[in-house]
Amino acid sequence: MTRILFSDKLDNCIARWRAAGLTVFGPVKTDTLSSYAAIEQASDFDFESVLPDRSIKDLFFPQTEPMLRYTIKKRAIETEDFTPPNGKRIIFGARPCDASGLAIDDSLFGWDYKDEYWIQRRNESVIVSIACTKADDFCLCSSLNLAPDSSTGSDVLLRPLENNNGWVVEELTDRGREAFLAIAELLQDGSDPIAPIADVPEKFDLDTCVAWLQNPENFESKFWKEISMRCIGCGSCTYLCPTCHCFDIQDEGDTYSGIRRKNWDSCSFALFTMHTSGHNPRATQSARWRQRIMHKFNYFPGTFSVNSCSGCGRCSRQCPVDMGITETLQKISTLQP
Amino acid sequence: MITQEKYRTRVKELLANNSVKMVIGYKQGSTADRRRPLFVRSFEEADELVLDSNCIGNLAGYLVTEGLLSDEKRVGIFLRPEGIRSINILAAESQLNTEQIIIFGFDTSGREVKALQGEQAGDFSGLIDSLKEKPPEKSSDALLYRIDQMNTEERFAFWKDEFSRCIKCYACRQACPMCYCRRCIVDSNQPQWINTSSHTLGNFEWNIVRAFHLAGRCVGCGNCDRACPVNIPLRFINARMAQEVFESFDHYAGTSQTQEPVLASFNKDDSETFIL
Ligand code: SF4
Ligand code: SF4
Ligand code: SF4
Ligand code: SF4
Repeated sequence: MTRILFSDKLDNCIARWRAAGLTVFGPVKTDTLSSYAAIEQASDFDFESVLPDRSIKDLFFPQTEPMLRYTIKKRAIETEDFTPPNGKRIIFGARPCDASGLAIDDSLFGWDYKDEYWIQRRNESVIVSIACTKADDFCLCSSLNLAPDSSTGSDVLLRPLENNNGWVVEELTDRGREAFLAIAELLQDGSDPIAPIADVPEKFDLDTCVAWLQNPENFESKFWKEISMRCIGCGSCTYLCPTCHCFDIQDEGDTYSGIRRKNWDSCSFALFTMHTSGHNPRATQSARWRQRIMHKFNYFPGTFSVNSCSGCGRCSRQCPVDMGITETLQKISTLQP
Repeated sequence: MITQEKYRTRVKELLANNSVKMVIGYKQGSTADRRRPLFVRSFEEADELVLDSNCIGNLAGYLVTEGLLSDEKRVGIFLRPEGIRSINILAAESQLNTEQIIIFGFDTSGREVKALQGEQAGDFSGLIDSLKEKPPEKSSDALLYRIDQMNTEERFAFWKDEFSRCIKCYACRQACPMCYCRRCIVDSNQPQWINTSSHTLGNFEWNIVRAFHLAGRCVGCGNCDRACPVNIPLRFINARMAQEVFESFDHYAGTSQTQEPVLASFNKDDSETFIL
């Protein structure tokens, strides 16, 4: 016997969650783009696409966010903090790779400096993931010690029923249990069979790749130039990535007053490492691509014991010149460490 | 297929007698319809060259990044007519010397991919002039037609909504062969001319500044539009600018290597009595 949430109860669930003070978010598709956004009713959800174009990161770490307002007076500088807009929410229908992405970035944003924006939003959000029954050629979770039904980063994991008319509910955290208490009477016991999870073939052996990356001699390998010659440094791989987390701090205003903002930044940009002198330690695009790979599979795991990639495949799906993590790691896995 | 074979052979010839150090073309990408840029330096790589109607990206931008031409050696490149026009503009703006460029021209508008006659930028001037004679298509696209029918407020609302998705990745700029500035105005922070934030103001500033900087320079290759990860229909902005420039100044971007930039030249017959 398992607990089942049938799809026809979803509107009722949404009403209950709202009554409990939660805003409901989920995957939404418009004519132009799919992303995670606030929804009104069950029919707003897009459960059909393999995954949204935009990652879940947008809801926790927006592209631009005000941090403080400053005013410079004769003898004093006054500042006034912005606090992230608070409010509890439930994100229903997250993909397991997106949820894992949040867990990956938790280690960074909760590290030596606690990023209050990220942490507050994480504490106020319930992540309800749905195991994937569909995947495309770009998905690579299974090559990264994850799977289409990974529960990492989720508060509740739902497994679609074979009849596609509901989900088996697995509550994983207290936050998830609390949110599902509000809809407890809408759940039913049952033994309906669950649909098989998506088949995502393993594309490379990660350990072999990591060994190659860790060998300092390979830092200057010709490989980097060859693999990334066509990269145009557009940065969209990093901006769509659920785990890329670099940002820049910018003051907008005039000499006397303005707003300090936190904006996304990307290691794909030449400007990212440009010194005021004009010297750029990462002078070429291949050095920037190397940084992206090294950071995700060597430096980040070195510090946090987890790769900074959850295998969503967005970087490859979107790249205007058809590059991506998969091809690079596949090639690396064939090289001598 | 015939054009592809012909060009593979020619590429090998040029490599064999050291006439070029590299040829930039296309190869099969990661899905059936995807083609990706290929940098050919060997016969094996030449055999990977693919030329078909899926070869749509304009490759011209690679010529002016990371000093590819700085050693004065010659480079071959596969280009559609728009690509050839972008080469002319780059030459007119002193970004490259066309003598260093061997063009493998092709046209995908028909059923079969057609080779274009010539190898040097100047060889295609007749072709480009004939393109100019065709009036710019006004409403070939349903969405463009809809935008055309809008009044000012509606159009503003339309673009505000489209730009609201912009995430300031600058992929449009990176993908554009005409966006070669070493230091783009958005990269300058002393002073910060353009907000880097992707709020309404920042997004308008960016997209409008870019549109103006491309007036009379955009060749309509569509690289920006295809690169935009949030699917903003950038092609319409630039197509409209191209149309305005054509109607007001009889200027068709990239007709020759000596063409004067429309926003940096003045003619007493111009419809405007001043220049900015
Ligand atoms: S890998 Fe692709 S998406 Fe990423 S910066 Fe390079 S060109 Fe852009
Ligand atoms: S690196 Fe690519 S595959 Fe990995 S999480 Fe980021 S976008 Fe997804
Ligand atoms: S603005 Fe867009 S369409 Fe025009 S030349 Fe640049 S990339 Fe091509
Ligand atoms: S590519 Fe699209 S999202 Fe990126 S800066 Fe240009 S318009 Fe904005």
